[in-house]
Amino acid sequence: MSVLHVVFKVDGAEYALPASDVLQMETFTGATPVPGAPSHVAGLVQVRGRVIPVVDARVRFGLPPVQRSLDTRVVVGQLGNRTVGLLVDSAREVLKLDPAQVKPPPPLVVEGARGFVKAVAQVGPRLVMLIDFPRVIGEEAPDGDGQR
Amino acid sequence: MTGSVDLADFLPAYLAEAEELLGAAQRHLLAVEASVRRGLAHPRAVRELFRALHTIKGLSAMVDVESIVSIAHWMETSLRHSDRAGGRLPESSVEPLMEGLREIEQRVRQLAAGKPVTPVPAGLLERLEALEAAALGTDPAKPAPVALELDATVSARLSAAEREQLTVGAAGKRAVRLDFIPGAERASSGITINSVRERVAKLAEAVKVLPLSGPAAGGGSLTFVLLLLTDATDDALLEAAGGPPASVRALTAAPAVPAAPIVTTEPELEAVVARVEEEPEEQRRGGGTLRVEVSRLDEALERLAALVVNRSRLTRAVAALTAAGAPTRELTAILQENGRQLRDMRAAIIRLRMVKVADVLERLPLLVRGLRRSTGKAVRLELEVGDAELDKAVADRLLPALVHLVRNAVDHALELPEERRAAGKPEEGLVRLACHGGASGLLELSVTDDGRGVDAEAVARRAGVPVPATSDGLLDVLCRPGFSTRDAATSTSGRGMGMDIVRRITVDQLGGELRLETRPGQGTTFRLRVPLTITLLDALIFECAGLRYAVAVGSVEELIDVDAARLTRPAGASGVVLVERRGSAVPLLSLERLLERGSPDGQRGGTGAKALIVRQRGEPVAFAVDRLLGQQEIVLRPLEDPLVRVPGVAGATDLGDGQPTLVLDLAALGAARSGNGRRERAT
Repeated sequence: MSVLHVVFKVDGAEYALPASDVLQMETFTGATPVPGAPSHVAGLVQVRGRVIPVVDARVRFGLPPVQRSLDTRVVVGQLGNRTVGLLVDSAREVLKLDPAQVKPPPPLVVEGARGFVKAVAQVGPRLVMLIDFPRVIGEEAPDGDGQR
Repeated sequence: MTGSVDLADFLPAYLAEAEELLGAAQRHLLAVEASVRRGLAHPRAVRELFRALHTIKGLSAMVDVESIVSIAHWMETSLRHSDRAGGRLPESSVEPLMEGLREIEQRVRQLAAGKPVTPVPAGLLERLEALEAAALGTDPAKPAPVALELDATVSARLSAAEREQLTVGAAGKRAVRLDFIPGAERASSGITINSVRERVAKLAEAVKVLPLSGPAAGGGSLTFVLLLLTDATDDALLEAAGGPPASVRALTAAPAVPAAPIVTTEPELEAVVARVEEEPEEQRRGGGTLRVEVSRLDEALERLAALVVNRSRLTRAVAALTAAGAPTRELTAILQENGRQLRDMRAAIIRLRMVKVADVLERLPLLVRGLRRSTGKAVRLELEVGDAELDKAVADRLLPALVHLVRNAVDHALELPEERRAAGKPEEGLVRLACHGGASGLLELSVTDDGRGVDAEAVARRAGVPVPATSDGLLDVLCRPGFSTRDAATSTSGRGMGMDIVRRITVDQLGGELRLETRPGQGTTFRLRVPLTITLLDALIFECAGLRYAVAVGSVEELIDVDAARLTRPAGASGVVLVERRGSAVPLLSLERLLERGSPDGQRGGTGAKALIVRQRGEPVAFAVDRLLGQQEIVLRPLEDPLVRVPGVAGATDLGDGQPTLVLDLAALGAARSGNGRRERAT
């Protein structure tokens, strides 16, 4: 059964997330920086009345910064109870991927991608990388007394 | 599959209800345990526990979580016998029942987190089944082998418990199969699996709901098979399912004839079952309470905040008109009235967010029970919380601190029974949590134990500091990050975290106070004082390095002008700048630098034009800012995500521009960024 995916671009490469994990996509008008947050956190944005952190995919993937454009998007993802945005160069496509198209990533990609890519899909001539969203946004566990 | 989409719609309500029922079940089971230990029967608690489990089972069948249904079913069965024995329960039964509740709770959590639900752990059902045998004093009663008329596809998906339920049936109820075939046409007239579920729930107990794909009557390709126990007629059920192509079939040849004696000997319990079935509906109509998602309350508050922002603009505009000589007397009067209305509105919304402290502390008895078992200490927990209320946002933050204090009290403060006896104290230790509303929007809480008290000398030795002279000093040492009075981390407390977390929550996060009173050999009391709400607060808005920030007015001691010509930079103090304030020198920190907003061209953080003076661990510290923009009421939205939960940032607010503005906690920011503070950021 093919699964709907949201496709986005970062530095020319194409990545995908299952559409079921994506709440919405927003244009980017700047984020409020949070001092002391990990460097890959671009800051806070307000999305339909909610304040959510935004992770800069370029910083996370170790890519050079780029001028934000009208194409820049925040892909708002849901991860359990957490809602986190991913700042990408553009996102304008939705694809149905058949599990048969999805393969484990080649070793070269695994090395280069620091575990952020968990699979690749061949779509015609294009290679779309399925990202490991929890890992990309960082798997920090909430603090507290650790007992809950 | 279509089925899962429908379940998703149903889930939030299920989760909320299941959580509530589990809470009730835990309470009743603890009550049962308390009676059991005194050798008494507690028929009412047994019955209440039974009701809670029965409802959990019914709800879980509707969302098709088989493992919960099975566990609840066997727990219910063993309680049925206990009820027949007049509410008596063997002591050995309590632990398996506790385990059952824990397992149900774990699965409800899994559902809530969108994770797959794990199957029933090996052996649990057998242990629960054995309880039934124990209660009866016989082998588990095997149900009369009545054949169920089910096709193999359906039959294969039934658990033993469900099959048993359908075969034995509830007293006088028939087991039937209702097939519902969804379709676009039906959906357009409002008949979906959800509406059918709801309507059927009033007529019957759902044992199982199975979505089956494949050709269905009427040209559909999906059939929901509802296996029910019911008193209602086929016609009534068919009607509830929207008529043909739905169909109803009996599962047993004759109306189930369960072992007759069971029916006749337990009319009372069946009456309970009947009440269980009726009550939720009754409560919904008559109870007058409503469950509302917190996000909706937040939204209402957000709208109110927008109104407040707008009102301050209006006020300024009217002031400008007045200054220009316009006749604004009536306008001003209306504006004043409007201000009063907004305040009332704000109070009303804050009231909506209040939760009972007693409800928040619901889990503590369970925690203490666990500690009793793991420490081998005899402990009694007393809760004296009356009907005090707190903003949910405060309550959620405060709970971990209270859990910590109670755990510490049992773990460190209370002595082992022998030791207590030798000291002439009752063997059973006491931990009391009390609270009372204080003046001016504050709630006072205390956690008291009658244990050994804090040994100030041992604490000082361990921390390598002189023995503190006052209890405040002692508390300071206890609250040092990583301080622990035990060498080995115990399973309950330890791991190097302790009082610093309690202080951080109470003082830094909530802006409250924490005090300590301790007497050697007699016990310790921690007193907490926290604001009833942190959701709405008066804030100073200022600008620093081109961005706006807010800070709670209450935390700022004074605003001063910074005269660059009158700053002193002591030699060798590595860039510390002192500013003079009424004859004494106060360290001036560059907020720009603390916020990591310093320009990258090597220029040192600016010393600003204004400074906010805040007390940091009792000492005044000045934070330099560029410009003050004014004072206004803001809605504080805490940052929940671990990525952005950093010390010094209390939350975010919207000042009306649609962009989040950070609300700073300057004391925590300064402490976190200065040399001796920890930088607790996640990596």
